[in-house]
Amino acid sequence: MTDSPSDTPDSTEDVVDEAVPEQEASAAVAEPAVAEESPAVDTEEAPEDAPAPSEFDVLAARVADVVGSDQWTAEHRTVKISVSPDRWKEAIAGVKALGEFPFFSWLSAVDWAREVAVGDGVAAPDDLDERLEVMCRLSSMKDDTAVTIVTSVPRSGGSLESVATVYGGADWHERECYEMFGIDFVGHPNLIKLYLPDAFEGHPLRKDYPLLSREVKPWPGTVDVEAKPTTENVEADTLASDGGDS
Amino acid sequence: MIVNFWVTLGIKMALVLGVMLVGALVSIFGELKISAHMQSRIGPYFAGGRWGWAQPLADGLKFIQKEEIIPDTVDVRVFKLAPYVVLMGTMAIYVVIPFGPDMVAGNLDLGVFYVLAISSISTVGVLMAGWSSGNKYSLMGGLRAAAQLIAYELPLVLAVVGVVILAGTLSLNGIVEAQAQWQWFGVTPEWLNVIPPYLILQAVGFAIFLTASLAELSRTPFDMPIAESELVMGYLTEYSGLRFTMFFLGEYAGMVALAAIASTLFLGGYWLPFVSDDLLNFIGPVVLITKIALLVFLFIWMRWTFPRLREDQLQQLAWRILIPVALANIVVTAVLKVVF
Amino acid sequence: MTTINPITDVATAMHLSEASVSVELETPDMTLNIGPQHPSTHGVLRLVAQVDGERILSVEPVIGYMHRGYEKLAEVRTYAQITALVNRIDWVSGFANEIPFIVAAERLMGVEVPERAQYIRLILTELARISSHLIFTSSYPLEIGAATPLMHALRERERVLELLEGVTGGRFHPNFNRIGGVKPAAGSGSQTRKDVQDLPAGFLAETREAMQRVLDVCDDLDTLVTGNEIFRARTVGVGVIPLDKGIDYGVSGPNLRASGTNFDLRKHTDYLPYDRFEFEIPAGTNGDCFDRYLMRLEEIREACKIIIQAVDSIPSGPLQAKVPKIIKVPAGEVYVRAENPKGEMGYHLISEGGRMPYRLKIRTASFSNLSVLPWLLEDTLVPDIIAILGSLDFVLGDVDR
Repeated sequence: MTDSPSDTPDSTEDVVDEAVPEQEASAAVAEPAVAEESPAVDTEEAPEDAPAPSEFDVLAARVADVVGSDQWTAEHRTVKISVSPDRWKEAIAGVKALGEFPFFSWLSAVDWAREVAVGDGVAAPDDLDERLEVMCRLSSMKDDTAVTIVTSVPRSGGSLESVATVYGGADWHERECYEMFGIDFVGHPNLIKLYLPDAFEGHPLRKDYPLLSREVKPWPGTVDVEAKPTTENVEADTLASDGGDS
Repeated sequence: MIVNFWVTLGIKMALVLGVMLVGALVSIFGELKISAHMQSRIGPYFAGGRWGWAQPLADGLKFIQKEEIIPDTVDVRVFKLAPYVVLMGTMAIYVVIPFGPDMVAGNLDLGVFYVLAISSISTVGVLMAGWSSGNKYSLMGGLRAAAQLIAYELPLVLAVVGVVILAGTLSLNGIVEAQAQWQWFGVTPEWLNVIPPYLILQAVGFAIFLTASLAELSRTPFDMPIAESELVMGYLTEYSGLRFTMFFLGEYAGMVALAAIASTLFLGGYWLPFVSDDLLNFIGPVVLITKIALLVFLFIWMRWTFPRLREDQLQQLAWRILIPVALANIVVTAVLKVVF
Repeated sequence: MTTINPITDVATAMHLSEASVSVELETPDMTLNIGPQHPSTHGVLRLVAQVDGERILSVEPVIGYMHRGYEKLAEVRTYAQITALVNRIDWVSGFANEIPFIVAAERLMGVEVPERAQYIRLILTELARISSHLIFTSSYPLEIGAATPLMHALRERERVLELLEGVTGGRFHPNFNRIGGVKPAAGSGSQTRKDVQDLPAGFLAETREAMQRVLDVCDDLDTLVTGNEIFRARTVGVGVIPLDKGIDYGVSGPNLRASGTNFDLRKHTDYLPYDRFEFEIPAGTNGDCFDRYLMRLEEIREACKIIIQAVDSIPSGPLQAKVPKIIKVPAGEVYVRAENPKGEMGYHLISEGGRMPYRLKIRTASFSNLSVLPWLLEDTLVPDIIAILGSLDFVLGDVDR
C-alpha cells in the first residue's frame, strides 16, 4: 500500500538489473490481491492504517529500507517485502540484525501455477506468472507485528542460498521446502528429505502433483457442496452451516 | 540314616522352593494392589473371585502358555541359561534364612558371608542375559546392571560388617540370638529387645543396607538396568514366555529374600520375648514374615513414589556417600564395641 | 542388532595383537537406534544416536513417520472440512488447533465474531491447554521413572475432557468452530436459528468445580514431583536452551518462556479476547528441563484463573455471525498465530477467492521445538535423551502434520 523507494543506489541497481521479470511478476499479483483485500482491511485494520503513517508503517518503511527493496506491502500487521533471489540471505540476515523481528517463525513456499491437478486454481490464470514464491516469516517478540520476506524462483531448477546459518531453525524448514517444492538450497548443511521416504519421487506440494485418492474417487464433501444452490449470498437470516449435515 | 538324610533334604528343598514361590507371588499381588491404591485405581479385581487374589497365578499361567520367542542374533545357550542363573542365585539365599531357632534349611556358620556371595550370582545372570540377547538395549541394561553390582555390593557388605562386629558371629541364627540377648549397659530386661537393638545401634548401617539392596534388586529409584523409558526393558527386552516369568519371579523372590535378610540382621529376625524356643519355631515364621511384609511394603512404596536416578548419579551416590559413610560406621561401631 | 562386531579388518586385528604392548583397545562408537517404536518417543519419532557407552556424540532425529500431508489435503477441502482436519494436528489439544485457522479465515472474510462465541472459544481453548499440560506434567515424571503422578493428573484431566465433550461432543477432536462463531445445533438444520445449541446446562458451575480440582491436583503434583530430590537431580541444569538459541531455532511456548522471556501470544496478539482477563505469564530463568516442567505447571494454574474469570463474565448473545451459506474466502493472504499449549501455532492462509484455500501453510510449534534437538542432545548421556525429549513436550502429529 505504501511504497518507499529505496535510496541506496546499489540496491536499486540490483532490482533493476537482475530482478526485472520477478519485479513485474510480484507487482502483477500483489497489487490486485491488495485491492481485493481492502474491504477486510477497512473493517479490521482501519484504526491503525487509515490517516497518518502509523508507528507500524514507519517501522515497515524502515525494515524495507534495511532490506533494500521497494517491493513491499503492509497489511494484517505484517510487512511483506519482495527481494530478488540473490539478495535472499542478505535480506533475512539484515532483518535479523535489525533486532525488531528476532523470532524465526517459518519458511515455506507457494507454487503459483496456471494448471492445478487438484483443488481450486488461481483467480486469473492468464495473468499469472508461474513461479515458486518462497517466504520466510520473522516476527516480533513484543507485539503481533511481523516481516515476511518473499522471493521468487522459477518452477524448474530453482535454487536459493540457504539461511540455515543465519537461523538454526531454518534447517528443517528448508529441508521440507526442498522435498515438497523441489527448491535447491545452496549451502545447506544436510539437504536430504525430511518427511518423505528416500525413494519418493515428485514434489507433493506443487500444484501439478495429483492426489491419487482423488483420482480414484471424488471427495464426497466436494460433491455435496456442488449439489447445493449456486447462490453465493443466501438471505441474511440464514445461519451458516457446514453444508454437510442437511 | 542315609534315607533319612535324603528325605530331609527333599523336604527342605520343597520347602525352600515353596516359600520362595509363595513369597514371590504374594509380593507380586501386593505390588499390584498397593500400587493401584496409591494411584487411585482398584487393581486386579476379578481373578479368583475376591480382590483378584489369583491374578499372579493367572499371569503365571498365561506366561507359561505363551510362545517363547528367541531372536536370530542371540547366543542361544547363554540366553536360555540366564534366567535360571538369576533365579538360582535368589533361591540359594532362602536356604539360610532362619524362620525359627530350628526352622532353617541350612544353618551355616558363615551364613552372612554366604548370603552376600550368593546374591551376586543373579547379577551374573543379568549380565548373561544382556550380553547374549544381541540387542543394544539389552547390552546397555546388562552393563548397567554390572556397574551397579560393583558399586553397591561394597556398601551392602560394609553395612553388614557393623552387625557382625556387634554380634561376633557370621551365622544368621547367631545374629538373631545375639540381638535377643543384647544388654544395654550390662543389664536389661528381655522385653526391651522387642525394639531391635541393632535398629538403633546400626541405624546408619540399616539405611545403607536398604539403599544398597534396592540397587541390588534394580528397583526404582535404581532401576536403570531395566529403565523402560530409556532402554525399553533393558536386559529383559528380548525375553518372553516362561523365561520372562523366571526373571519376574526372581525379581520379587529377591525382594523378599533381601527383606528377610534385612529383618534378620537389623530387626531381630524371628525372635519374640517370653516365648520358649519350641514355641518360637511356630511363632517365629509369623514374626519374621510380618517384618518382611513391612520392608516389602517399604520397597513397593518407594518404587511408586520416586523417579529414577541417572547412571552417573547412582555411581556417585555409591562411591561418594554410601561407601565412606559405611566405612565410618564400621570404625565407630568397632571403637564403641571395644570401649563398652 | 548385535553390537559385537568380529574383527574383520586386518589392520584392526594387527592393532589388537599389539595391544599386549600398548594397551589401547579400539572402542568403536555404537549407533543406537531409538524408535520409531520406543516407549519414550511419544509416537513414531526416531532418533539415530551415535553413542560411546552412555555418552552421546550426536543425534539425528528422523521424522515423517506420521506425515499426513495436511497442507496438501487442505488445498482440496472446503473451509468447514479443514476444521475437522486441523484438530488432528496436535491431538492432545485438538480444540486449540482450530482457533488460528478459523480466525485466519474470518480475518480475510472480515467477519465479526459475536462476544459469546469468542468467550466459548476462549474457555474451551484454555480447557484444551489444561488437558495438554496435565498430560505433560504427569507423563514427564513417568519418563523420569515415577509412575504415580500420571494417574492422579489423568484423573482430573478426565473431568476436563468430559467438559469438552459435553460442549462439543468430542473429547479429542471437537470440530466445534465454524467461521463466524461456534457450532450450531446438531440436526436442527440451518434455518432454525432459535434452537442453536448453546452450552449444556450446568456447564459453567461444573467448570468452576473442575477448575478447583485441577488446582488441587497441581498442588499434589507440586508435593509429589516438584520438590522431589531425585526429580530435581535429573532435570535441573539438564538440557539448557539459552534464550538466543531458542529464538534462533523458533522454539516457542513454554519451552521458550522457560529460558527467561514472557513472550506469550495471548498477551501480544488479539486472536481471542485475552486482554479482558487478569493472568500472569510465568517465565523461567535457566531454560533447563526443570524450568520447562515448572512453566507448564504454572500455566495450568493461570489457565484455571482465566477460565474462572471467563465463566463468571461470559456474556449472552448469539453464537454465530451472519455468514454466507457457502463459504468463499476473498482473495488475500493472512497469517494468524496463536499461543497453543505447545507454542506458536499459525496458519498462513492464501486464498484466491474459491471454496478452498489456494495454499495453507501450517506452522506448528512442536516442529520448530524439536528442530533444536540435535544441538541440544550433543554430549549428553543416554538417560538425558529421555529427560530432554520429554521436557520439550512435543506431539508427533504436531511435528509431522
